[in-house]
Amino acid sequence: MSQTGVGVEGLPPARPGEGAPRRALAPLRREPAGRGRAWLSRRSVQQNLAGYVFLIPWLVGFFALTLGPMLASFYLSLTDFELFTPPEWLGFDNYVRLFTDDRRYLRALRVTFTYVLLSVPLKLAFALGIALLLNRGLRGLGLYRSVYYLPSLLGGSVAIAIMWRQVFSREGLVNQILALVGIEGPSWISDPSYALSTLVALAVWQFGAPMVIFLAGLKQIPQELYDAAAVDGAGKLSKFARITVPLLTPIIFFNLLMQMIGAYQAFTSAFVVSGGSGGPADATLFYTLYLYEEGFTNFEMGYASAMAWVLLAIIALSSAVAFLSARHWVHYSDV
Amino acid sequence: MGTRLTRRRLVQAGGATAAGLSVAGVPAAWSARAAQASVRIRAAGFVESQEQLQHTIDVLAAYAAQHPDVEIVPEFTDYDSYVDKLATEAAGGNAPDMMSANGDIMGEYSRRGVLRPLDEYVPDPIDLADYAEGTIIGNTIDGQLFGIPNDCIAPSLIYDTTVFEETGIEIPDQMWTWEQYAQTANDLSAAKGEGFYGTEDGGNSYIACDMFLRGQGKEFYTAEGGLGFEPADLVAWLGFWQALRESGGCPPGDVQALATGDDLSRTNIILGNAAILPQLTDTYVGLQALTENPLGIHLLPNGFEGDELTQHHYTYAGNSTSISAQTEQAATVVDIIRYMHTDPEGIEIFYRGSGLVPASATGRAGLRDEGSEGEVRVLDYVDMILDDSSTPRNPAVAGVSAILRRMNEEVAFGRLSTEEAAQQFFDEAESRIS
Repeated sequence: MSQTGVGVEGLPPARPGEGAPRRALAPLRREPAGRGRAWLSRRSVQQNLAGYVFLIPWLVGFFALTLGPMLASFYLSLTDFELFTPPEWLGFDNYVRLFTDDRRYLRALRVTFTYVLLSVPLKLAFALGIALLLNRGLRGLGLYRSVYYLPSLLGGSVAIAIMWRQVFSREGLVNQILALVGIEGPSWISDPSYALSTLVALAVWQFGAPMVIFLAGLKQIPQELYDAAAVDGAGKLSKFARITVPLLTPIIFFNLLMQMIGAYQAFTSAFVVSGGSGGPADATLFYTLYLYEEGFTNFEMGYASAMAWVLLAIIALSSAVAFLSARHWVHYSDV
Repeated sequence: MGTRLTRRRLVQAGGATAAGLSVAGVPAAWSARAAQASVRIRAAGFVESQEQLQHTIDVLAAYAAQHPDVEIVPEFTDYDSYVDKLATEAAGGNAPDMMSANGDIMGEYSRRGVLRPLDEYVPDPIDLADYAEGTIIGNTIDGQLFGIPNDCIAPSLIYDTTVFEETGIEIPDQMWTWEQYAQTANDLSAAKGEGFYGTEDGGNSYIACDMFLRGQGKEFYTAEGGLGFEPADLVAWLGFWQALRESGGCPPGDVQALATGDDLSRTNIILGNAAILPQLTDTYVGLQALTENPLGIHLLPNGFEGDELTQHHYTYAGNSTSISAQTEQAATVVDIIRYMHTDPEGIEIFYRGSGLVPASATGRAGLRDEGSEGEVRVLDYVDMILDDSSTPRNPAVAGVSAILRRMNEEVAFGRLSTEEAAQQFFDEAESRIS
C-alpha cells in the first residue's frame, strides 16, 4: 500500500534493495572522452536550458518569494525600520536589545520552550499509542485512520481555536464534565497557570499526521521478528521495547524533528485563544505572537526581523542537536 | 492597540461576516456600471457593529448612484484586521483613497506622511463650524487637520438599570466620587451574592485612568506625546482596582480575562455577571442590542471624597475619515464626506440606526428627531458633556494602552505588586515614547 511511503521521503532507505537505483545512475555522469569542450558545452547548455526553462516557475518562486525576502529581512534586522521611513543602520543593536533589554522577549522564549518541551513529546507519545492500537488488524481500519486524522486537517484553522476557547472556558464542556464528578474546574484559558496547558492539549489533540507516519512505520516491521521473539518466550512488553521501538526509531526521529520545528512556529492557536494578546498576563505569549505584535502593531519591523532570525537560529540549533543525538539512538540498520 | 476599549472585535457579529459583507454587500448595479465609471475610489475602514457596516455601505452606494462617473469599492472590516491591512498597504504605497482613522491611526500615519492635510477643504466645501470642538482638536496634529470626524464619543459608565431596581440600590448623582463608585460596586456585589460583581474591572482602560488622573489635576497623555503622571499615581490606580477585587466589588483576574477582549457579547454586564461597565459611548447601541435589560449611561467619577467636583469628561472622534496623501481623487472623496455629513439624505442613511453620534450639531439635531430611545439617551449624554466639556484628551501613543492592560492583569493574577507593575509600566512605556 502506498501509505508505507507517506512523509518519510528524505530519510535513508529502510530496506536494502532501495539503495540500488542510485548506483545505476552513475554511468550517465561519465562524459564521453576525447570530444572537444565546445561540443560539450553547447550540448550541455542546450540540455540544461530546457531543464532550467521547466524550472523557471520554481526558481522565480524561490528567489523572488523566499530567498530574496529572507536576505532583505536579514538586512532589515540590522536596522531600525519602522515600515514607512527608510531603514537606519544599527548593526547588531537589535540582537543585543533582545537579550539584554526586553523582559517580554525572554518571557516569550520561556513560553515557547515550555510549549515545545511539553507538546512535542506528549503529541508523539499519543500518536504512537493510537498507531499501536490501530495496528492490531482492526476491521474498518481505514475509517478509524481517517477519523483520527481529522483533527490534524482542521487543526490549524481558526474555527478549531475558537471551539477550544469555548470548550475550556469557565462554563465550557470540560468544566461541565468535571462538575458531574463534583470537581469545580478553573477557568482554563483565562488563568495564567493553566492557559498554556490548554494550548498544549490542543496541539496533542492534533496527533493525526505523526500517527499516520507511525502507522506506516509499524507496518514495515516484519512479522517474523515477532514470531521469532515469541518462540524465544518474549512477552508483549519485551517485544515492544526490543523490536518495535528500535525499528521505529528512524520514524520517531523524523516525527520529532517535524513536530519540533512546527511547535517553535506555533501561532494560530495562541493568537485566537488569547485574542491576539498572548494573555492572560503573557502566559501564552508565543515567540511568533510577540514577533507579530512588534512588527505589525508597533511597526518595529527591524526588531521583528531580528527576532525572526534568532528563531531560525534556535530551530537550526535544536535540529542540529537532534541530529547529533540521533547517532546514539536512531537505528537505520536492517535486520 | 491604542483604543482597544472602543474596538470590539466583531467575533459575535462575525468579523468574517463583516469582511464578507463588504464584498457581498456591493449592489450588483455597481459592478455593472464599473466599466463606465471614470473615477474609482477605494474606501477602507473599520466598523463597530453590523449595523454600522450596513449603513456605511449604504451611504456610499447612495452617493455612487447619484454620480454615475464614480465607482466606490468598499473594504470595511473590524478594527484589528483593518489596522494590520492598512499597515501593509500603506507601507507598500497602496493606501486606500478614503480611509477610517481614529486618534491612534491618525497620529501614526500623519507622522509617516500617508495622510493628506485637509485644511484646504475647510470651510468650503466642508464647514466644521458646528462640529464638537474636541473632535477637531483630536484630529489636528502639528496644526494641520488630518481627518473629518464621523462621530463624537465620550468616556462613560454603562450600567444595567434592572440590577439597580432589583437590589433597590440607587446610582448616585452624575457628579460622584471614586469612593462612591467603589461603595456602589461593593453594595451591588453584596446584594446579589456570589458570582456577581458590582462593576467590571476598569483598570485596563487608559480612558478611565485619564478620568482618575484628571481628578488629581493630571492627565494620561501630555500634549507633547508623553505621560502626564508619576509611578505613584499608577500605584493608586492599580490599587483602586485591586482593592475592589479583594472586596468582591469587581471580578477576579480569571473571570475578567474572559471579558477583556473586544467582543461585547462576552462582557460580564451582558452575561449577567456585573452591573457597571466602563466603556465609551459608541458601544452603547451595540451593548443594548445584546440585552433585554434597559441600559443606563453615567459619568465616570469626577474626583475624590472631600474635593470639590469638577467636570473632567470630554468628547473626541472615535471614527474619522482621512484621505491618502497619494490619491488623485481627493476632491471626490471630500464630496463623498460632504454628502455623508451634511446632506440631509446622507445623514439619514449614514447615521440613523448605525450607533454613531454625529460630530456636528446639525447632524445630532437631525438624528434626535424620530430617534429611538437608545439613540436619544446617548445623544443626551454626549450633549450633557458638550455643555460643560473639559479640555479634550491628547493623542495616544501606540502600544501604551496594551502595556497598561497587561500590568493590570499582572496585578489581578497576583504576579506583580502594584508598585512593581507601575515601575514596569514606566520602563516599558518609555521605549514607546520617543
